[in-house]
Amino acid sequence: MSIEGKGETMLKTLRMTLAVFLALAVAGCGAGVGEAPDEGGGEGEQGGSGEGGANSICMMPKLVGIPYFNAAEEGANEAAEELGVDLTYDGPTEALAAEQVRRIEQFTQQQCDAISVAANDPDALAPAMTQAGEAGTATSAWDADVAEDSREVFVNQATFEAIGQTLVDIMAEQTGGEGEFLVVTGSLTAPNQNSWIEEMEAHMEAEYPDMSIAEILPGEEDLQLGIDVTTDYLRANPDTAGVFGITTVALPGAAEAVQQLGREGEVAVTGLSTPNEMRPYVESGTVEEFALWNPVDLGYLAVHVANAQVEGNLPDSGTFEAGRLGEVEMLAEDEVLLGPPDVYSSENIDDFDF
Amino acid sequence: MSGASTTTTATEHSDGPLKRFLTRPEAPALIFLAALVVVLSVVADGFLGASNFEGILSQVVVIGIIALAVNQVVLSGEIDISTGSMLGLCAMASGTVAVAGGGLLFTLLAGVAVGALAGAVNGFLVTVARIPAIIVTLGMLYALRGVLLLVTGGTWVTGVPAEARVLGIGSVFGVSLPIIVLFALFIVMELVNRHSDWGRNVLAVGGNRRAAMLAGLPSRRVRFWAFVLVGAAVGIASVIYIGRAGSVQTNAGTGLELQVIAAVVIGGTSIAGGRGSTLAALTGAVLIGVILNGMVLLGIPGVWQDAVLGALILLAVSTDVLRRKLLGDKA
Amino acid sequence: MSQYTETSRGFLSRIKFSRELVLLGVLIVIVIAMSLLSPVFLTLGNLLNTSRYFVEIGLISLGMTLIIITAGIDLSVGSNMALVSVVVGFSFLGGVPLPLAIVLGVVAGLAAGVFNGLFVTMLDLHPLVVTLGTFAMFRGLAYGFSDADAVSSFPAWFAYFGQAYFGPIPGQLIVFVIAVAVVWLILSRTRFGRYVYAIGHNEEAARFSGVPVERVKLAIYAGTGLLVGLASVIYISRVSTARGDAGLGLELDVIAAVVLGGASIYGGKGTIAGTVLGVLIIATLRNGLLLAGVPSTWQLFLLGVLLLVAVFLNEFFRKEEG
Repeated sequence: MSIEGKGETMLKTLRMTLAVFLALAVAGCGAGVGEAPDEGGGEGEQGGSGEGGANSICMMPKLVGIPYFNAAEEGANEAAEELGVDLTYDGPTEALAAEQVRRIEQFTQQQCDAISVAANDPDALAPAMTQAGEAGTATSAWDADVAEDSREVFVNQATFEAIGQTLVDIMAEQTGGEGEFLVVTGSLTAPNQNSWIEEMEAHMEAEYPDMSIAEILPGEEDLQLGIDVTTDYLRANPDTAGVFGITTVALPGAAEAVQQLGREGEVAVTGLSTPNEMRPYVESGTVEEFALWNPVDLGYLAVHVANAQVEGNLPDSGTFEAGRLGEVEMLAEDEVLLGPPDVYSSENIDDFDF
Repeated sequence: MSGASTTTTATEHSDGPLKRFLTRPEAPALIFLAALVVVLSVVADGFLGASNFEGILSQVVVIGIIALAVNQVVLSGEIDISTGSMLGLCAMASGTVAVAGGGLLFTLLAGVAVGALAGAVNGFLVTVARIPAIIVTLGMLYALRGVLLLVTGGTWVTGVPAEARVLGIGSVFGVSLPIIVLFALFIVMELVNRHSDWGRNVLAVGGNRRAAMLAGLPSRRVRFWAFVLVGAAVGIASVIYIGRAGSVQTNAGTGLELQVIAAVVIGGTSIAGGRGSTLAALTGAVLIGVILNGMVLLGIPGVWQDAVLGALILLAVSTDVLRRKLLGDKA
Repeated sequence: MSQYTETSRGFLSRIKFSRELVLLGVLIVIVIAMSLLSPVFLTLGNLLNTSRYFVEIGLISLGMTLIIITAGIDLSVGSNMALVSVVVGFSFLGGVPLPLAIVLGVVAGLAAGVFNGLFVTMLDLHPLVVTLGTFAMFRGLAYGFSDADAVSSFPAWFAYFGQAYFGPIPGQLIVFVIAVAVVWLILSRTRFGRYVYAIGHNEEAARFSGVPVERVKLAIYAGTGLLVGLASVIYISRVSTARGDAGLGLELDVIAAVVLGGASIYGGKGTIAGTVLGVLIIATLRNGLLLAGVPSTWQLFLLGVLLLVAVFLNEFFRKEEG
């Protein structure tokens, strides 16, 4: 259709130039971002601990962009500053194990001295973590463990038992230790949640024989779905004494549902979530008390442990001195325990911002 | 409902009312919906009852409102699959304004403004830069979620005050307000499609773009405003979303785009453009709500939800093709 | 018809040549930029290691190139990957010997591709709608069959597919190179390849001149399904886990790579060389941005924008070609 001529060729050259320009703009945009200092990240000079150089610690949450892991990052930065280590804190934008594998391998490539991960899948991350360990990197897991033989240490935020007992005790106090209960969980296959439910049931059986879990429903970490399943269930089972929401998303969903049904005070609500998320429901009285470990402290501890691994002074047993946290317990030679979960209520909730 | 928003041929005038109903785009979906309601009433405990129906309706309001607008885009022969991320962004904007004490009006304005802006970007890229809508809105699905994460840094909006939640949890004369909003918008869209130039042009452009252009219709402008309308509708929906949920998370709206498209095509609007109706989008949204509710009541695990949704989309578009062939043979 | 002869002679081939040169230039610029940002980037170890990530996307992009040349699209590839992953993992868990489970998985990928192809050809539906439906359906089936659970108890030898090295070269890179050669031969040296372009140029005209349009299309979608099956096996082996969230968002990377490589979403244009360059550019950007410490949230945004810019440029160039 077109005739080749001089003008045509010039136009073509012009367009090619424009193309290169735009492509450069895209690449350059990335470059510009790279130079912007990411909080606590030591870009550019990373890699190679070297004699006398600061230890580099690469730490990965299950995903970035949610308050819980932002809070952990805050604690991690605090510890990094205190210890004078280079901290890289990054993870995928969705909780995908495969994306984590990719990052672990790249952490290994850039020769981090220590890698610490919160695993989306214990087994999927294992080969990459083993490989990192073989390359001489100190390996650890925090928040959610990887397969035991693929890392050196696990920083445990709270034992399953402690979580299960704390939640049941809070609920028993509010309901007189009897009744049937709904549990709103993440997904039916989430390992942490299932272990907590087991411990909750065991504790009920041992201490409060009149309490029982009538139903376990998944909220799939979707707030609206959490509200909907709780609403539907409470409409169908109006005698339910209380609802446990055992993820940071399930609990506000359950509280919102109870509030929307106008059944505050009749249906007790407790579970695990962050103070910022729960503040409105504590203020309105829908939720009296709820629990969670402190994610700021968890991130803080994880960096301390990783640094101690690199320095080679992590004890096998007894206790471990972790900065402002003082002495924390070594549950086993490869497991550090943050401590019992914190309980939040209207009295102390304003002391926390995460 | 008369056939003002359909483009089926004029032969229907001579047919009886039943036949006229059957040739309407949403007829199969309505029949299917009625059958499903009957079956579920018998099979599923707790399905029949005013509170469950109200529950189903209020759960599909967000999808329904967006579907009414995406319906226009599909009618004009385009597609928009960016609405999930768009809802997240709008909800974050309106939620932030609400928490800052903006009151309902400014909350609504914030949501609609952000949505309309995002919609305008879609519309510009499709109609002016001439990038295919599927690529534009696929790219925007990711880019908008990225913007959301960048702007918020991953912080959630919590504690939306009661005055800004009215559209989500309020009620008038015992009828829940979000349901009233949905039906009000439905009527507005129906009027727009029947009585405005733009509404008629949407169908003409979608039916045969070249013919429409030859007839002097402003094809680009018509499609551009359809994309803007989607943005504005997502903005309104976002206020209902924050009203119902009371807080906004960075993953808000994930996967919503699929349910919206499903609602539109299951309802009977042809994905090829030019054929469909406002009622189709609404019927489709309600049908999805009934199916999801039925799955819960029948104890079908939520993990199968996507499979059911996908199969339904395929079923809907296949029957559309078969019907087109049958009607084509008759004519 | 005058356009047809013209494009097949000097004019188009010269444009193609220079477009690929531009891409190569872009790639080199990105590589230089990245190596300035991160000292680790331009090391043989890193480059070879990076290659392990783009093989899965690369394999699928080869099939997608053919689909896009025929003016089609396949949004379901990521979900299909999940389906294959779950079929392999859970049939193995259910007692099927692993070699057979792998075959079953690849067959499932192929079947999914055939399913897409049948809907596209027999019902004459737009591939966009069909694969939007199967995008949801395949993912849903994967979640449903696996009950959102994961399988990772694979025997050690299974790691071979995704973790083996020949010298410093990752095994899957060799697979990819072979696949590139095969698909390139098919597209540029066979009658089938000419049919693919003909369908993309003008489907009706192709049909009138005796091209078996339906069969060619069916073969392309099936072939893409097969490539997804292969990619999925490599993927499962690489992360030693099979689960329903495999390949989430993969379609974006694949489509971005293909259109960046110069294939026109309106059909008729595209080359394997271009696609391979597109894959390399995206992989390099991703790897470089990670190494340079760019937060992941930016990558999501940049990838979406990159896709839009790439398509815009392609169509912008194409205006003059008529």
